[in-house]
Amino acid sequence: MDNFHPTNKERRFKAYLGPLGTTQLHLRNPYVVAWWSAAFPGFGHLLLSKYIRGFSLFIWEVFVNSMSNLNHAIVFSFIGNFEMAKEVLDPRWLLLYLPVYMFAIWDSYRTTMDINKEFILAERENAEINTYSITSMEINYLDKRRPIMAVLWSLMTPGLGQLYIHRIFTAIFTMGFMIVFVYFSNALVAVHWIFLGDLNEAKEVIDPQWFLFIPSNIGFAVYDSYTNTVENNKLYESEQRKFLRKNYQHYHVKL
Amino acid sequence: MQIFSSFEHSSYIELAITALEQIGIEKENILAVPLYNRIEERKLFDTLHRADGVSLFDTGAALGTAFSVIGTCFGFALAWGPIIWGLIGAIIGFLLGFIINYTFYKITRNKQRALKGKKSEVFLVINCPQEIVEQVEKILWENFALGVSKV
Repeated sequence: MDNFHPTNKERRFKAYLGPLGTTQLHLRNPYVVAWWSAAFPGFGHLLLSKYIRGFSLFIWEVFVNSMSNLNHAIVFSFIGNFEMAKEVLDPRWLLLYLPVYMFAIWDSYRTTMDINKEFILAERENAEINTYSITSMEINYLDKRRPIMAVLWSLMTPGLGQLYIHRIFTAIFTMGFMIVFVYFSNALVAVHWIFLGDLNEAKEVIDPQWFLFIPSNIGFAVYDSYTNTVENNKLYESEQRKFLRKNYQHYHVKL
Repeated sequence: MQIFSSFEHSSYIELAITALEQIGIEKENILAVPLYNRIEERKLFDTLHRADGVSLFDTGAALGTAFSVIGTCFGFALAWGPIIWGLIGAIIGFLLGFIINYTFYKITRNKQRALKGKKSEVFLVINCPQEIVEQVEKILWENFALGVSKV
């Protein structure tokens, strides 16, 4: 059950609040969004709340990257072992990578510019939005939350920050893939060796192909949950301001 | 009797208002004046090309991730291994991005004074009979009013 139903007179909404999450337009820097697409195709679109294409690009990246051994070759290139870099790359898959990679960056940049314009128009129109949704599965409402908590939980397990601000899909997706990356890269086995003091064994046990997915995944989870907490808080304030102005400005102060 | 109070934006204002309505104060005797924050007002006029308010974090997160990936790669050739070098890279990248942004803001936004501490964001004025003034004040304080005064 929602506390709002559109009247067909609105042209744009700046946010949508449903049982599975709050989707919101806000101003974004197109270069920052393009950068996240470059770090990991799909992340730029996820930041823009274009979840289906974001998740599709993400899965595409994990699949084509691991089939072509791209991450492994990146590691070899960075440490100057170019012979091995050429050796591990699989030519059956490698060229599939480039067009989609470039598309993800370009498309997220372009979409950001468009959505920024839509946001300014929606902000000026300032139409009523749904702020409360209660269903048999979930309850979601506009609320103020602490950005620092979103960051801390995301650092502990990517996805928890998204759960904190009620973005169920991103949370499940991020946490699920983190399990895949951690398991196949042997990252936790390496952590185990680090604590036992054997750095060499820690290095040996890691699979570079899978391990290289992890830094971007954590970085994205932190950034996404932080910015969305800040923006959710701003949406809350703007909605409450509107509510108070509409309902509690009949009395006039007497001096 | 008029009671003036100020609040931050949060559910507590609405809790206070509904509690006042429950003790019989009508809507017509409650005035809420949400203040537009000077800084937030200005943000709307930022260009399309810049996100607002969170930019101090933007470059830090981007460079942190980039340096973390690079640190991880080098880590495979260095003594401490990819995990530790990845973490070192993330910290260096984040700090670097933060410092770049911070310096940038210091130079470009020198004139804007930062507001510190709590900000008053909503004024709430209640018109009520003398007898219930204390009750009203109690409700306002219980819901974390920043300040209360009667005139």
